[in-house]
Amino acid sequence: MDFYFGLLQIFGVHTLLGLSAYVVLLTGQVTMAQAGFYAIGAYSAGAATAMFGLHILPAVILAGLVTAGIACIVGFPALRVKGLMLVVATLAFGEMVRLFFFNLTWQVERGGEMVGPNGAEGFRAIRYFPENGWEVWHVTVFIWIVVAVIMAALWWMDHSRAGAVLRAVGHDETAAQSVGLNLTAVKVGAMTLGGFIAGVGGGIYAHTVTHIEHGVFGVLLATFAIAYPILGGLGSVFGTVIAVLFIQGFLIEGLRFVGDWRSLLFGALIVVAMNLRPHGLLGEHAPNLRRIFGREKTEREALNTKEAK
Amino acid sequence: MDYFFFIDFLQSLTDGLLFGTTYALIGIGFTLIFGVMRKLNLAYGAAALAGTYIGLAAFLSFDAPPTLVFLLSALGSGVIGILVYYCCFRFTPADYPMASLLASVGMLLFIEEVVIHASHGMPFPYPSVFRDATIELGDIWIRGDLLFVFGICVVAMAVLFWLLYRTPLGLATRAVSQQPRAAALCGIDPTRVNLLTFGITGILGGIAGAMTAAAVGVLSPIIAMGLTVKGLIAVVIGGLGSIPGAIIGGLLVGAAENIFLLLRGVTERDIYVMLLLFLFLVLRPGGLFGSTAGRD
Repeated sequence: MDFYFGLLQIFGVHTLLGLSAYVVLLTGQVTMAQAGFYAIGAYSAGAATAMFGLHILPAVILAGLVTAGIACIVGFPALRVKGLMLVVATLAFGEMVRLFFFNLTWQVERGGEMVGPNGAEGFRAIRYFPENGWEVWHVTVFIWIVVAVIMAALWWMDHSRAGAVLRAVGHDETAAQSVGLNLTAVKVGAMTLGGFIAGVGGGIYAHTVTHIEHGVFGVLLATFAIAYPILGGLGSVFGTVIAVLFIQGFLIEGLRFVGDWRSLLFGALIVVAMNLRPHGLLGEHAPNLRRIFGREKTEREALNTKEAK
Repeated sequence: MDYFFFIDFLQSLTDGLLFGTTYALIGIGFTLIFGVMRKLNLAYGAAALAGTYIGLAAFLSFDAPPTLVFLLSALGSGVIGILVYYCCFRFTPADYPMASLLASVGMLLFIEEVVIHASHGMPFPYPSVFRDATIELGDIWIRGDLLFVFGICVVAMAVLFWLLYRTPLGLATRAVSQQPRAAALCGIDPTRVNLLTFGITGILGGIAGAMTAAAVGVLSPIIAMGLTVKGLIAVVIGGLGSIPGAIIGGLLVGAAENIFLLLRGVTERDIYVMLLLFLFLVLRPGGLFGSTAGRD
């Protein structure tokens, strides 16, 4: 049973990673920095609980805020350039963060042993959960509450003015600018929000695995981050969740019997999916529940029939 | 500043500039593809790596001479470049850059995994020439193999310039990169030009990969990421879309890398090279030779 709870935990932290990229992708910017933000969140939340004895909740929120701050600072120079240059800048930023933690050694003594990040060895013994008697299912429930809260917030945002603004910038920057939107503010805002979510996700991730090291936060993780929302479709937050379930659940866990060759599948899947369904599984528009269940005509259909008359 | 430090500094600078030509080649590859397609091919470094492994396979299986190994590396990478074009760029929608970008990232991971599988992730020795030769200029030694790397890269660039500015093919390539629609109206087939560009840049990448491996002496899958990131930084510094910019950027990255290696050690050097990138993004987002194209 613990295995399945562990699996759910992996789904949870990866959903957070995907959602963090989702916000930025809505503005039409492709970011390869999410793995870097995830690393910053992981290390700072780990430091907060393991080194300074904070409770998990403030530690995770703190990690989110720290990461959001850094994302905001990085966002300004990076977003001065558009599109493809941003990919380069964020790719370099992600690698830079990874190398920073590769070099970081900062240990304090706590309970008779040294804890803290130790260069290439990584950050060991982030044992908040076992030390405080949390069981596996407690942790799983905790993670999914956080995921649910963030998903609900993003769902709400999608259906408010803020979501419309993000999508407007994503679809046509010139048009968005000419209706008076401040492009830099929108993009940096999205980057900051994405950074917060990635920081929270990274903070929780650090506590579920108890040992983090720089190698985890490489380009592969950054690719996972943007692959979930794009493969799932940018229409709504559910696309990301479905993509996480598919990739982590089916491709990585379900196909365990294929053995090592499994690692080839992820790259191949992305290539195939982008050729066949470039706008993702659920497409660009949010699935309309009413249309799916067929109870009522949607507004557009109602409008069409009115025009036809 | 004492004399020995000064000599060390100059020595690093020379080695860096010589080795920087490989980054310049990779940078030219990114720039050319961006020029004709307005897209970024992130699988480029991985294609270069895979081509280099093809050369290595020949070396390991029948002990091919270095010249043949280098040639096979370049050609293999060219073929893989064309493959990347068909997998990631030919059939993805042209008006939705995210699709081809993500596809090329997928390809990067795929090629890297294939290489790791085929080679079991172990580093292999890679042939080189003039390894023992050195030229002494006062207190500065120039390594023969680095000089060879430099020479080959310069020759590759010269051939590329001849191809671009002296042949009908080059004329077509430049036409497509300036104004794709007008070029198509003049009877140039953009698909064919794109295909050829991917082939040519693949060959350039293969040369860069082979030269990197020859200069280091061993070949391991990790060089793909280094080539990709450093090549991209070279392009950003030089200005996306500009070939002279890519060359200058590559030399600058090579020199900066070696100087930070001397000053800060091997684990920290790449951090500073990337900080250099951010410095350019803040102060000169268009790059040194940036046109307006750099902002899109």
